[in-house]
Amino acid sequence: MKTLKILALAAALSLAAAPALAAPEVPAASAQAKGEFVTAHVNGLVCDFCAQALQKVFKKEAAVKGIHVDLGKGEVHISMNPGQTLDDATIEKLIRNSGYALTGIDREVAE
Amino acid sequence: MPSKFMVAALALTALAAPASARPVSYAGGWTAMQDNNRMYSSLLVHYSPTATDSIGLLAEQNWSMDATFTGLQYTRLARRWNAPQSQGNLYIKLGAGAADAFEGGQKAAGFAGLSADWETRRLFVSYDVRARDYGFDQSVSHAARIGVAPYVAEFGKLHTWAMLQVENHPEADNPVQVTPLLRFFEGPLLVEAGYTLEEDRFLLNWIYRF
Repeated sequence: MKTLKILALAAALSLAAAPALAAPEVPAASAQAKGEFVTAHVNGLVCDFCAQALQKVFKKEAAVKGIHVDLGKGEVHISMNPGQTLDDATIEKLIRNSGYALTGIDREVAE
Repeated sequence: MPSKFMVAALALTALAAPASARPVSYAGGWTAMQDNNRMYSSLLVHYSPTATDSIGLLAEQNWSMDATFTGLQYTRLARRWNAPQSQGNLYIKLGAGAADAFEGGQKAAGFAGLSADWETRRLFVSYDVRARDYGFDQSVSHAARIGVAPYVAEFGKLHTWAMLQVENHPEADNPVQVTPLLRFFEGPLLVEAGYTLEEDRFLLNWIYRF
Protein backbone atom coordinates (compact mmCIF):
# COMPACT_ATOMS: atom_id res chain seq x y z
CA MET A 1 0.00 0.00 0.00
CA LYS A 2 2.81 2.32 0.97
CA THR A 3 4.54 1.48 -2.26
CA LEU A 4 1.40 2.33 -4.21
CA LYS A 5 1.14 5.72 -2.47
CA ILE A 6 4.76 6.50 -3.30
CA LEU A 7 4.21 5.55 -6.94
CA ALA A 8 1.04 7.66 -7.13
CA LEU A 9 2.86 10.66 -5.62
CA ALA A 10 5.77 10.21 -8.00
CA ALA A 11 3.39 10.02 -10.95
CA ALA A 12 1.56 13.16 -9.83
CA LEU A 13 4.83 15.05 -9.39
CA SER A 14 6.07 13.93 -12.78
CA LEU A 15 2.87 15.08 -14.46
CA ALA A 16 3.06 18.43 -12.72
CA ALA A 17 6.68 18.83 -13.71
CA ALA A 18 6.19 17.84 -17.35
CA PRO A 19 4.99 21.23 -18.63
CA ALA A 20 7.89 22.98 -16.98
CA LEU A 21 10.39 20.58 -18.47
CA ALA A 22 8.79 20.90 -21.91
CA ALA A 23 8.54 24.67 -21.73
CA PRO A 24 11.70 25.48 -23.71
CA GLU A 25 10.33 23.56 -26.71
CA VAL A 26 7.01 25.40 -26.89
CA PRO A 27 8.11 28.23 -29.19
CA ALA A 28 9.53 25.86 -31.81
CA ALA A 29 6.46 23.65 -31.70
CA SER A 30 4.25 26.69 -31.91
CA ALA A 31 6.17 28.05 -34.86
CA GLN A 32 5.75 24.83 -36.74
CA ALA A 33 2.07 24.72 -35.92
CA LYS A 34 1.53 28.27 -37.09
CA GLY A 35 3.57 28.03 -40.25
CA GLU A 36 6.05 30.38 -41.86
CA PHE A 37 5.34 33.77 -43.41
CA VAL A 38 7.57 34.80 -46.28
CA THR A 39 7.82 38.23 -47.84
CA ALA A 40 9.42 38.26 -51.29
CA HIS A 41 10.50 41.62 -52.65
CA VAL A 42 9.86 41.66 -56.40
CA ASN A 43 10.64 44.04 -59.25
CA GLY A 44 8.26 44.55 -62.17
CA LEU A 45 4.91 44.36 -60.41
CA VAL A 46 2.77 46.94 -62.16
CA CYS A 47 -0.63 45.39 -62.88
CA ASP A 48 -3.23 42.80 -61.95
CA PHE A 49 -1.94 40.35 -64.54
CA CYS A 50 1.40 40.40 -62.68
CA ALA A 51 -0.30 39.61 -59.39
CA GLN A 52 -2.50 36.97 -60.97
CA ALA A 53 0.50 35.23 -62.52
CA LEU A 54 2.22 35.00 -59.13
CA GLN A 55 -0.93 33.66 -57.50
CA LYS A 56 -1.41 31.00 -60.16
CA VAL A 57 2.20 29.85 -60.00
CA PHE A 58 2.57 29.81 -56.20
CA LYS A 59 -0.78 28.17 -55.51
CA LYS A 60 0.41 25.08 -57.38
CA GLU A 61 2.92 24.48 -54.57
CA ALA A 62 1.76 22.15 -51.78
CA ALA A 63 3.71 24.13 -49.19
CA VAL A 64 1.81 27.33 -49.94
CA LYS A 65 -1.25 28.02 -47.83
CA GLY A 66 -2.01 31.46 -49.21
CA ILE A 67 -0.52 34.31 -51.18
CA HIS A 68 -1.16 38.03 -51.29
CA VAL A 69 0.42 40.50 -53.69
CA ASP A 70 1.01 44.11 -52.67
CA LEU A 71 1.50 45.98 -55.95
CA GLY A 72 2.25 49.24 -54.16
CA LYS A 73 5.15 47.87 -52.15
CA GLY A 74 6.31 45.36 -54.75
CA GLU A 75 5.91 42.55 -52.24
CA VAL A 76 4.58 39.02 -52.42
CA HIS A 77 3.36 37.68 -49.07
CA ILE A 78 3.35 33.90 -48.86
CA SER A 79 1.83 31.91 -45.98
CA MET A 80 3.25 28.41 -45.69
CA ASN A 81 1.39 25.39 -44.43
CA PRO A 82 2.49 24.23 -40.97
CA GLY A 83 5.70 22.24 -41.12
CA GLN A 84 6.37 23.15 -44.76
CA THR A 85 8.37 25.78 -46.56
CA LEU A 86 9.98 26.75 -49.86
CA ASP A 87 13.68 27.46 -49.98
CA ASP A 88 15.03 30.68 -51.45
CA ALA A 89 16.07 29.07 -54.73
CA THR A 90 12.56 27.68 -55.29
CA ILE A 91 10.93 31.02 -54.53
CA GLU A 92 13.32 32.75 -56.94
CA LYS A 93 12.50 30.18 -59.65
CA LEU A 94 8.75 30.53 -59.16
CA ILE A 95 8.94 34.31 -59.39
CA ARG A 96 11.09 34.05 -62.51
CA ASN A 97 8.57 31.61 -64.03
CA SER A 98 5.89 34.19 -63.35
CA GLY A 99 7.91 36.73 -65.33
CA TYR A 100 9.36 38.88 -62.56
CA ALA A 101 12.59 39.47 -60.67
CA LEU A 102 13.26 38.64 -57.03
CA THR A 103 15.32 41.16 -55.07
CA GLY A 104 15.07 39.83 -51.51
CA ILE A 105 13.34 37.48 -49.08
CA ASP A 106 12.28 37.99 -45.45
CA ARG A 107 11.06 35.12 -43.32
CA GLU A 108 9.14 35.14 -40.05
CA VAL A 109 6.82 32.95 -38.01
CA ALA A 110 3.18 33.65 -38.80
CA GLU A 111 1.30 35.38 -35.97
CA MET B 1 -10.55 23.08 -69.81
CA PRO B 2 -7.97 24.68 -72.11
CA SER B 3 -8.68 22.21 -74.91
CA LYS B 4 -12.43 22.84 -74.68
CA PHE B 5 -11.79 26.53 -74.79
CA MET B 6 -9.53 26.15 -77.80
CA VAL B 7 -12.23 24.31 -79.70
CA ALA B 8 -14.78 26.96 -78.84
CA ALA B 9 -12.37 29.72 -79.79
CA LEU B 10 -11.59 28.13 -83.11
CA ALA B 11 -15.26 27.74 -83.84
CA LEU B 12 -15.73 31.43 -83.23
CA THR B 13 -12.80 32.50 -85.30
CA ALA B 14 -13.70 31.74 -88.83
CA LEU B 15 -12.57 35.32 -88.99
CA ALA B 16 -9.44 36.60 -87.32
CA ALA B 17 -4.39 38.11 -85.99
CA PRO B 18 -2.66 40.48 -83.96
CA ALA B 19 -3.76 41.40 -80.50
CA SER B 20 -0.95 43.47 -79.16
CA ALA B 21 -1.16 43.61 -75.38
CA ARG B 22 0.12 40.89 -73.07
CA PRO B 23 1.15 38.39 -75.73
CA VAL B 24 3.07 36.20 -73.26
CA SER B 25 1.73 34.88 -69.95
CA TYR B 26 3.27 33.08 -66.98
CA ALA B 27 4.63 29.55 -67.47
CA GLY B 28 1.61 27.33 -67.96
CA GLY B 29 -0.84 30.18 -68.52
CA TRP B 30 -3.57 30.46 -71.14
CA THR B 31 -4.83 33.75 -72.53
CA ALA B 32 -7.63 34.69 -74.91
CA MET B 33 -7.65 38.12 -76.51
CA GLN B 34 -9.79 39.78 -79.10
CA ASP B 35 -9.27 43.08 -80.93
CA ASN B 36 -11.89 44.87 -82.96
CA ASN B 37 -11.12 48.12 -84.73
CA ARG B 38 -11.49 49.78 -88.05
CA MET B 39 -8.78 47.69 -89.69
CA TYR B 40 -9.53 44.23 -88.42
CA SER B 41 -11.19 41.91 -85.96
CA SER B 42 -8.97 39.27 -84.48
CA LEU B 43 -8.94 36.51 -81.93
CA LEU B 44 -5.79 35.02 -80.46
CA VAL B 45 -5.79 32.16 -77.98
CA HIS B 46 -2.31 31.40 -76.74
CA TYR B 47 -0.47 29.17 -74.31
CA SER B 48 2.80 30.08 -72.63
CA PRO B 49 5.03 27.06 -71.95
CA THR B 50 7.53 29.44 -70.37
CA ALA B 51 7.39 33.03 -69.14
CA THR B 52 9.17 34.14 -72.31
CA ASP B 53 7.32 32.28 -75.07
CA SER B 54 3.78 31.78 -76.25
CA ILE B 55 2.21 29.92 -79.12
CA GLY B 56 -1.32 30.57 -80.18
CA LEU B 57 -4.04 30.16 -82.74
CA LEU B 58 -4.87 33.35 -84.52
CA ALA B 59 -7.78 34.28 -86.73
CA GLU B 60 -8.19 37.70 -88.28
CA GLN B 61 -10.69 39.37 -90.49
CA ASN B 62 -8.97 42.28 -92.17
CA TRP B 63 -11.78 44.64 -93.15
CA SER B 64 -9.74 46.98 -95.30
CA MET B 65 -8.24 44.16 -97.36
CA ASP B 66 -11.45 42.17 -97.33
CA ALA B 67 -9.39 39.14 -96.37
CA THR B 68 -9.21 36.46 -93.71
CA PHE B 69 -6.09 35.10 -92.06
CA THR B 70 -5.91 31.96 -89.96
CA GLY B 71 -2.74 30.49 -88.59
CA LEU B 72 -0.30 30.20 -85.72
CA GLN B 73 1.39 33.03 -83.87
CA TYR B 74 4.62 32.58 -81.97
CA THR B 75 5.63 35.35 -79.60
CA ARG B 76 9.02 35.66 -77.94
CA LEU B 77 9.59 37.97 -75.01
CA ALA B 78 13.03 39.03 -76.19
CA ARG B 79 13.75 41.22 -73.21
CA ARG B 80 12.02 42.32 -70.03
CA TRP B 81 13.19 45.09 -67.77
CA ASN B 82 11.81 44.59 -64.28
CA ALA B 83 12.40 47.64 -62.09
CA PRO B 84 11.05 48.47 -58.61
CA GLN B 85 8.23 50.65 -59.98
CA SER B 86 8.10 49.79 -63.67
CA GLN B 87 8.27 47.10 -66.31
CA GLY B 88 9.45 47.26 -69.91
CA ASN B 89 9.09 44.60 -72.58
CA LEU B 90 10.35 43.87 -76.06
CA TYR B 91 8.45 41.21 -78.01
CA ILE B 92 9.05 39.52 -81.34
CA LYS B 93 5.96 38.17 -83.08
CA LEU B 94 5.89 35.75 -85.98
CA GLY B 95 2.85 34.35 -87.71
CA ALA B 96 2.27 31.79 -90.43
CA GLY B 97 -0.91 30.48 -91.97
CA ALA B 98 -3.29 31.03 -94.83
CA ALA B 99 -4.97 34.17 -96.08
CA ASP B 100 -8.21 33.96 -97.96
CA ALA B 101 -9.25 36.94 -100.02
CA PHE B 102 -12.90 36.84 -101.00
CA GLU B 103 -11.96 37.36 -104.62
CA GLY B 104 -8.44 35.93 -104.69
CA GLY B 105 -8.54 32.41 -103.28
CA GLN B 106 -6.42 31.06 -100.49
CA LYS B 107 -2.71 31.92 -100.27
CA ALA B 108 0.12 31.16 -97.89
CA ALA B 109 0.53 34.12 -95.58
CA GLY B 110 2.66 35.35 -92.74
CA PHE B 111 3.67 38.33 -90.71
CA ALA B 112 6.49 39.53 -88.47
CA GLY B 113 6.33 42.21 -85.86
CA LEU B 114 8.05 43.93 -82.97
CA SER B 115 6.34 45.35 -79.92
CA ALA B 116 7.79 47.41 -77.12
CA ASP B 117 6.06 48.73 -74.03
CA TRP B 118 6.91 50.37 -70.75
CA GLU B 119 4.58 50.98 -67.86
CA THR B 120 4.35 52.02 -64.27
CA ARG B 121 1.16 51.98 -62.26
CA ARG B 122 0.48 55.48 -63.55
CA LEU B 123 1.96 55.69 -67.05
CA PHE B 124 1.94 53.49 -70.13
CA VAL B 125 3.65 53.80 -73.51
CA SER B 126 3.90 51.26 -76.32
CA TYR B 127 4.91 50.90 -79.94
CA ASP B 128 4.13 48.12 -82.42
CA VAL B 129 5.28 47.57 -85.96
CA ARG B 130 4.02 44.74 -88.13
CA ALA B 131 4.89 43.66 -91.65
CA ARG B 132 2.50 41.24 -93.29
CA ASP B 133 2.50 39.30 -96.52
CA TYR B 134 -0.87 37.84 -97.39
CA GLY B 135 0.27 36.64 -100.80
CA PHE B 136 -1.89 39.08 -102.69
CA ASP B 137 -0.98 42.04 -100.54
CA GLN B 138 1.98 43.24 -98.54
CA SER B 139 1.85 46.00 -95.97
CA VAL B 140 3.55 47.52 -92.95
CA SER B 141 1.65 49.18 -90.13
CA HIS B 142 2.64 51.00 -86.97
CA ALA B 143 0.79 51.77 -83.75
CA ALA B 144 1.77 53.73 -80.68
CA ARG B 145 -0.02 54.35 -77.41
CA ILE B 146 0.30 56.56 -74.42
CA GLY B 147 -1.81 56.09 -71.30
CA VAL B 148 -2.38 57.59 -67.88
CA ALA B 149 -4.10 56.03 -64.88
CA PRO B 150 -6.13 58.67 -63.03
CA TYR B 151 -5.81 56.68 -59.81
CA VAL B 152 -3.77 53.75 -58.54
CA ALA B 153 -5.77 50.65 -57.62
CA GLU B 154 -4.71 47.62 -55.65
CA PHE B 155 -4.83 44.06 -56.94
CA GLY B 156 -8.38 42.87 -57.46
CA LYS B 157 -9.81 46.38 -57.70
CA LEU B 158 -10.88 48.13 -60.86
CA HIS B 159 -7.98 49.77 -62.70
CA THR B 160 -8.84 52.50 -65.20
CA TRP B 161 -6.63 53.97 -67.90
CA ALA B 162 -7.18 56.81 -70.32
CA MET B 163 -5.19 56.12 -73.49
CA LEU B 164 -4.52 57.60 -76.87
CA GLN B 165 -3.65 55.32 -79.77
CA VAL B 166 -2.14 56.56 -83.03
CA GLU B 167 -1.91 54.17 -85.96
CA ASN B 168 -0.26 54.45 -89.32
CA HIS B 169 -1.60 52.30 -92.14
CA PRO B 170 0.04 53.65 -95.31
CA GLU B 171 -2.33 51.81 -97.61
CA ALA B 172 -5.50 53.12 -95.96
CA ASP B 173 -7.59 56.04 -97.13
CA ASN B 174 -6.79 57.71 -93.82
CA PRO B 175 -3.22 56.58 -93.21
CA VAL B 176 -3.03 58.13 -89.76
CA GLN B 177 -5.79 57.30 -87.32
CA VAL B 178 -6.21 58.52 -83.78
CA THR B 179 -8.23 56.56 -81.24
CA PRO B 180 -8.90 57.82 -77.72
CA LEU B 181 -9.81 54.87 -75.53
CA LEU B 182 -10.49 53.76 -71.99
CA ARG B 183 -8.95 50.62 -70.53
CA PHE B 184 -10.67 48.84 -67.66
CA PHE B 185 -8.70 46.18 -65.87
CA GLU B 186 -9.77 43.97 -63.00
CA GLY B 187 -8.35 40.58 -62.04
CA PRO B 188 -8.11 38.35 -65.10
CA LEU B 189 -10.15 40.60 -67.41
CA LEU B 190 -9.04 43.63 -69.40
CA VAL B 191 -11.47 45.53 -71.60
CA GLU B 192 -10.78 48.51 -73.88
CA ALA B 193 -13.33 50.73 -75.57
CA GLY B 194 -12.49 53.57 -77.91
CA TYR B 195 -13.48 55.58 -80.92
CA THR B 196 -11.43 56.18 -84.05
CA LEU B 197 -11.98 59.79 -85.02
CA GLU B 198 -11.09 59.62 -88.71
CA GLU B 199 -13.24 56.59 -89.41
CA ASP B 200 -16.20 57.17 -87.09
CA ARG B 201 -15.75 53.64 -85.81
CA PHE B 202 -15.62 52.10 -82.38
CA LEU B 203 -12.84 49.98 -80.94
CA LEU B 204 -13.53 47.17 -78.52
CA ASN B 205 -10.76 44.88 -77.25
CA TRP B 206 -10.66 42.38 -74.44
CA ILE B 207 -8.21 40.01 -72.83
CA TYR B 208 -8.93 37.20 -70.40
CA ARG B 209 -6.13 35.37 -68.65
CA PHE B 210 -6.76 31.91 -67.27
